Amino acid sequence: MDVLHWDGTLSAKDFRIGAFAFAQKWESCNLAFPPWSWLPCPKHPWLAPPEEEGYLSLEKICISRPNEEEDIDQISQIDTGEEETCCSRNEDILDDATLVQSNHHELHYCDFHIVYSSTFRVPVLYFRAYCSDGRPLPLDEIEKELPACASKELSKKWTFITQEEHPYLKRPWYKLHPCGTAEWMKLLFLSDTANPKFEVVLELYLLSWFSVVGQVFGLRISFKISN
Amino acid sequence: MAAESPSSARKVVVHLRATGDAPILKQAKFKILGTDKFAKVIDFLRRQLHRDTLFVYVNSAFSPNPDELVIDLYDNFGFDGKLVVNYACSMAWG
Repeated sequence: MDVLHWDGTLSAKDFRIGAFAFAQKWESCNLAFPPWSWLPCPKHPWLAPPEEEGYLSLEKICISRPNEEEDIDQISQIDTGEEETCCSRNEDILDDATLVQSNHHELHYCDFHIVYSSTFRVPVLYFRAYCSDGRPLPLDEIEKELPACASKELSKKWTFITQEEHPYLKRPWYKLHPCGTAEWMKLLFLSDTANPKFEVVLELYLLSWFSVVGQVFGLRISFKISN
Repeated sequence: MAAESPSSARKVVVHLRATGDAPILKQAKFKILGTDKFAKVIDFLRRQLHRDTLFVYVNSAFSPNPDELVIDLYDNFGFDGKLVVNYACSMAWG
């Protein structure tokens, strides 16, 4: 296929090939993160799905912002304050009330799934976030955890977040909307002075795509991976 | 890593190249400190082009994180003594 006339999209079969290439590169170079795993989609008893159907999954990634220095200061201040006020010990012994802390310093985790959209014919990043006790995080809290440059990017409309049913798990997940993806993927590859073959594009497609969408979550890709 | 090495103090030639229908800059090449972040290049382009929505990337179809240092990008993606940075303006997506 001629890349000059390519529209930036992938077929479901191409997605599977690209996904495997990406997962392999990621594993060999990106040591800071666990590997992506390919999950075949659950089979319907009455339908034989095409062999290539499935998605990539990377789960339990800590997304909390690393602003610990300030936070520790604040915590120690609060602690000393408590010691001073907690002098009536005898009364407190029978108090079995549980304090539910809405603690901003708690670690938050994110699951990422890369799912193929047959409507837009591009990969889509689905995600959900939760606290260490499993409580799901609403979108406004997730947004607080994203790097400052990400909210800037989101407001510039390269993409935006919507909530939708996960196509395979049938539960509400968030996703980065793919309506612009084919356009900017095409741009990424047109810029290359040498006109690459489609096989080369396919090999790099998900990596290039992730170098853009990963920024929303501050997930950095090691440069080694792209060379 | 690079911040500690003496090479990071050197300047890097950045070549800004328009793709798609993005306007071409009068001065497409300029020097920037290796210790500067890529965000500085993006902000410069935003100011020059008076566009907020920019898509900025290097060769090898890679869009670097704005926090990356220019010297690191040069070491990995630079050739012929310069770092080529492609930019495109968006249509109103979304």
